[in-house]
Amino acid sequence: MPMILLKCDKDIPEREKHIYLKAPDEDTREYLPLSNAATIPGTLSERGCAFCGAKLVIGGVLKDTIQMIHGPIGCAYDTWHTKRYPSDNGHFQMKYVWSTDMKESHIVFGGDKRLEKSMHEAFDEMPNIKRMIVYTTCPTALIGDDVKAVAKRVMEKRPDVDVFTVECPGFSGVSQSKGHHVLNIGWVNEKVGGVEPKITKQYTMNFIGDYNIQGDTQLLQTYWDRLGIQVIGHFTGNANYDDLRGMHRAQLNVVNCARSAGYIANELKKQYGIPRLDIDSWGFNYMAEGIRKICGFFGIEDRGEALIADEYAKWKSKLDWYKERLAGTRMAIWTGGPRLWHWTKSVEDDLGVKVVAMSSKFGHEEDFEKVIARGQEGTYYIDDGNELEFFEIIELVKPDVIFTGPRVGELVKKLHIPYVNGHAYHNGPYMGFEGFVNLARDMYNAVSNPLRRLAGVDIRQSPAAATKGAA
Amino acid sequence: MSEKIDALYGYVQERCLWQFASRVWDRKANIEGTIALGTALLLGETPTVTTPAERCYLVDAKVMVSDFRSRFPWLRDCSPEEIKALMAELQAKLTDIAITKSQNHELTHELY
Repeated sequence: MPMILLKCDKDIPEREKHIYLKAPDEDTREYLPLSNAATIPGTLSERGCAFCGAKLVIGGVLKDTIQMIHGPIGCAYDTWHTKRYPSDNGHFQMKYVWSTDMKESHIVFGGDKRLEKSMHEAFDEMPNIKRMIVYTTCPTALIGDDVKAVAKRVMEKRPDVDVFTVECPGFSGVSQSKGHHVLNIGWVNEKVGGVEPKITKQYTMNFIGDYNIQGDTQLLQTYWDRLGIQVIGHFTGNANYDDLRGMHRAQLNVVNCARSAGYIANELKKQYGIPRLDIDSWGFNYMAEGIRKICGFFGIEDRGEALIADEYAKWKSKLDWYKERLAGTRMAIWTGGPRLWHWTKSVEDDLGVKVVAMSSKFGHEEDFEKVIARGQEGTYYIDDGNELEFFEIIELVKPDVIFTGPRVGELVKKLHIPYVNGHAYHNGPYMGFEGFVNLARDMYNAVSNPLRRLAGVDIRQSPAAATKGAA
Repeated sequence: MSEKIDALYGYVQERCLWQFASRVWDRKANIEGTIALGTALLLGETPTVTTPAERCYLVDAKVMVSDFRSRFPWLRDCSPEEIKALMAELQAKLTDIAITKSQNHELTHELY
């Protein structure tokens, strides 16, 4: 089956290069959706901007760091509180938002002084906080504000603070993905190696590409503690700024989200000789496999097997309860990129769920190679899907549940299709053994909820008939 | 022979992230390193690894071989020569899809 041109795309035929329907005996040598390419004018893309990829996804997770956003207030507000990554530092990073609140006059006359003033104000207001990331945005990048020079001046006046600058305005890339890249490379080149971590255990690793969504990091940390492995840098879930300056001392880089953070793992391999081990942290089978690999690397296989046995004893029967009820469920995954390939086999193997359509906002061709290798025939693989395409795909594949973000989620709810928050979760964590039971529970609750049937009934005609059978 | 190779290849495509590294050079290193150690394990050898990178290949190979043995019981009846031939062909097929004929335009990027 060649690439697909949907009916709704008849006026933007370029979209055909981005949508693939997998057929028997085909593979990625023949068909690979074009991705990480500029959004075609005229499509209602669901993508975010490059700044968002740096701030919302990675930098903003740090629990001890002021996130100074040098730009209009909207850039700060729209990347605040839209993703749920708690911390054990009183959720500092979620409580506050910082902005230089640039107005027209500052654009005309330059924003350097305003940025410097804002940085001092923020440090003065929060005297216990000594770390800051400064982000440029579209307008402050366009007018050429020299944020590195400002950061240098502030650090000279305040010797106890450290500032990292991310020059990644929204327009600098085609999607969030550019922001991931810029932050990764900037961090490894400018900050890694700046702090010598205290080594407390024989076995050390960095855990890369996990952002503590609803406690993912904190759940996985219980495993590493039980295994006797010290995580030097958790990039960036529940992490401190200085933890990540010591990443060069780890013996192993374990990578979960290869799209948002594969770059730093690659650079740590190249610059410091730390090997990269890619794992999947979602799903029973995958999590067990990941633990086996990590423990195998350190030669502590027995500890790994004991942990897996404990977790299976605690959670497997619960997972199976949901599997019995979810088998055959048709699922669509419309998220960022890696969750497509992390989830498609794990929900199939662990829950008996069939994934019928997947759409990626910012995945690269590498992500599509992975997901097409793992995904089923008859499934749609879409890059940078737009709203009309989502409607048409729903008609084609009739999903029972869609894992996506709240924006698209509210859209599909109006079609009486339940959605589960695939970005920030409904009731996570979703990683690890316990986490995958949570995912199964949220999926079960979504597809079993009688409200979705009731919502589709016009009660003006026959209220009694409408509610019959819903209980 | 062909069906056996397809079974091994299907497993690796579906399960193994190490074939999908970022660049041609690290895909090549991962595929060659993991298949070489996997072959040794299937032959009943105890491979010696010295570098951190080789330790990664070994843990990936161990999981792969363990799954091969549980999913494909016919491997028990294969001679050492047949195992070597199967794994060599597996490596060739993985190299073909992940490197030689990959449509991933980033594989030859100059950075990293």
